[in-house]
This record gives sequence, C-alpha cells and structure tokens, in this order.
Amino acid sequence: MKEYDYAKGFWNPYVAGIALGLVLLLTFYLMGTGLGASGAIARTAAVAAHAVAPEATATNGYFGEFYKTGARNPMIDWMVFEVLGVFIGGLVAVLTARRFRPGVGRGPTAGVGLRLAMAFGGGIIGGIGTRLAMGCTSGQALSGGATLAAGSWAFMMAVFATAFAAAYFVRREWS
Amino acid sequence: MTGPLYMSGALSFTNSLWIALGIGFLFGFVLERAGFGDSRNLTNIFYFRDMRVLRVMFSAIVTCMVGMLILTWLGLFDYTMLLDYSLLKTYLWPQLVGGVLFGLGFVVGGYCPGTAAVGVVSGKLDAVIFLAGMTSGIWIFAAGFPLWGSFYKSSDLGRITLAQVFGAPVELLVAAVALMALASFWLAGLAEKWAPYDK
Repeated sequence: MKEYDYAKGFWNPYVAGIALGLVLLLTFYLMGTGLGASGAIARTAAVAAHAVAPEATATNGYFGEFYKTGARNPMIDWMVFEVLGVFIGGLVAVLTARRFRPGVGRGPTAGVGLRLAMAFGGGIIGGIGTRLAMGCTSGQALSGGATLAAGSWAFMMAVFATAFAAAYFVRREWS
Repeated sequence: MTGPLYMSGALSFTNSLWIALGIGFLFGFVLERAGFGDSRNLTNIFYFRDMRVLRVMFSAIVTCMVGMLILTWLGLFDYTMLLDYSLLKTYLWPQLVGGVLFGLGFVVGGYCPGTAAVGVVSGKLDAVIFLAGMTSGIWIFAAGFPLWGSFYKSSDLGRITLAQVFGAPVELLVAAVALMALASFWLAGLAEKWAPYDK
C-alpha cells in the first residue's frame, strides 16, 4: 500500500476505531441512544426553511413534525448539541495537530470546479438518502450496527455496495 | 449505576444537552484523528487504496457491541430497555433505497454528514459545499414529501435485531460479526495490494 502525504500523521485505524467504539459505548450507557449527525442537518434545514416560509414549513408533511404545537425549538435537541460538539472537538483536534489547511480534497488530476460540483451534487443525493433511511453513517451504520438493528445492517450493505459499484464512474474525481 | 442513565430517569434534559456537547467533542476529535476530515481518506476505500474507513468503522462497531455485552453481563447495562424503547426501527425498503442514494452521495460527494463537519473545521471547501448540498437535498425531500411520504413509513418491521432475524442468541451474532470483522481486516490488506485502479 502506497502511503499518501495527506494520509500521514493520523492514529492507527484500529486504535481510532476502538476509541470511536468506546465513545459510542459511553453514549449508549449514558443516553440509551447512539451517535448521529444527519438529524442535526435536517433540523437546521427546517429552521432555515421556517425563517423564509413559516406557514409552508409548519404544515409540511416532513418539517411539520418539528413545529407541532407544544414542541420545543427544533434546535434545542440532543443531536444538534452533539453535532455542535463535533465541530468543536474536530477543531481542537485539527489545531492541536497543526493540520488546518484551507483547500479542496480531490484526486491529483481532478479540477477544483469538477470536485466542488460533485460535492454539491453528491450532497443533494446523500441528503435525500439520509431522510429516507432516517440516518447516516453515524446514526444508522455505526450506532444501529453496534446494536444489531436489522434495518441498519441493510442500510450499511446498500451504502457500501452502491459506493463500490459507483466508484468506477467517478474515478476521475479521485484519481 | 445501571445504564442507560437518561432512559432510567437519572439525568435531566438540561444535563443531557451538556452530555451531548461533551460526547460530540469526543466524537469529532476521534473522527479527525482517524483522518476523516479529508474526503480523500474517506473515498480511497472505494478504490482499494487505503481501507482505513473499513478498519475504523468495523473495529468501532465491534468494540461497542462487545462492550455492551460485557456491561450487560456485569449488570451495568439494561439491554432489554434498549431493545424495547430505543433500538432503531427497521423500515426495510426505505432504508435500502436510502442506503443506495446515500452510498452514491458518499462516493460522489466525498463525505458523510459527521465527517463533513470535521472537514469544515479542517478548512476543506469541498466539505462546506457538501453540507450545503445536503441541506438542499433535505429541502427537496421535504418539498416532495407528499410524493414519497407513504413509502417513507412502509415495510415497518419494528424494533428488530439480527439476532431475531436469524433466530439465534445475541452472543452468537456478536461472535459472528466480530469474526466477519477480522476476516474483512485480512481481506482489506489484500485489497490494498491489489489496488486495481492504480495500475
């Protein structure tokens, strides 16, 4: 295996995995639920939509859930605070490792424009996917996976099977 | 004390939010240290260049899974409470279709939501754009909800674990997943040597 410059200086993947597993275990011990991420983005999207079109958002079949009468502010939520912590923890890790490098992660021959367009398009598709599957890599694959939830394993298999199959078609982006 | 603490009423909602911040901090810190703040480290797995995503994720799943079993044996964790009240429900078809879309978004977009957050604080513009795309995708999902709202809640199998699907004891499933992980770690090493895209 060739070692790339951008892949240097990180923890051994098994050490990182065990550390991540212990954080997840602690979460289950304290809360009874696991980690998450996409739920916080959904709430942010709902709040942004509500700022522009309050009526349509509150009556929307999906966003309406966050605006039922008597419901808390959608941002006063466990996962929103957790993701806030992810930003802070990630920043501390980046700064203490002196790894803050403004830039665009892409394959050696891929253009910045192509990569950013793909990041946006991939984000859209993935965003729809997280809502349909009710979670992402954190909530479904990691947390659901560790608790042996059947649907989470089905999700995980679908994610990786699709990504491996589709990788060939976007190889220019990453090669 | 026997966990889960919050579910048994040992923690207030306000305290749970402080815990959320702390847990998130640890989560973000470990994700960064794993190398997950850079889309190249995340997508190299799909080209068999660097299988760190598989190694990190699978060892995390096994660590937590085995840890939960040990805590249960020690009487420190109430596993049945988890199974009855908080296990993620299975909606088979929406989760499969969502998984296909998410997998496509992962390899095309280069991130998943949690890692994109770490990418943003690492200074990566593609992570910022990815999160903007995700937000837009969620708006599209909400706008089209009348079209797929009934599919969204279809094939509801409830809170069901793999142990129940296979009619086997939990301990056996845990052992099987751990063995699967070890086998995949071994295969990952072979895959990196193979690296079919770089020849």
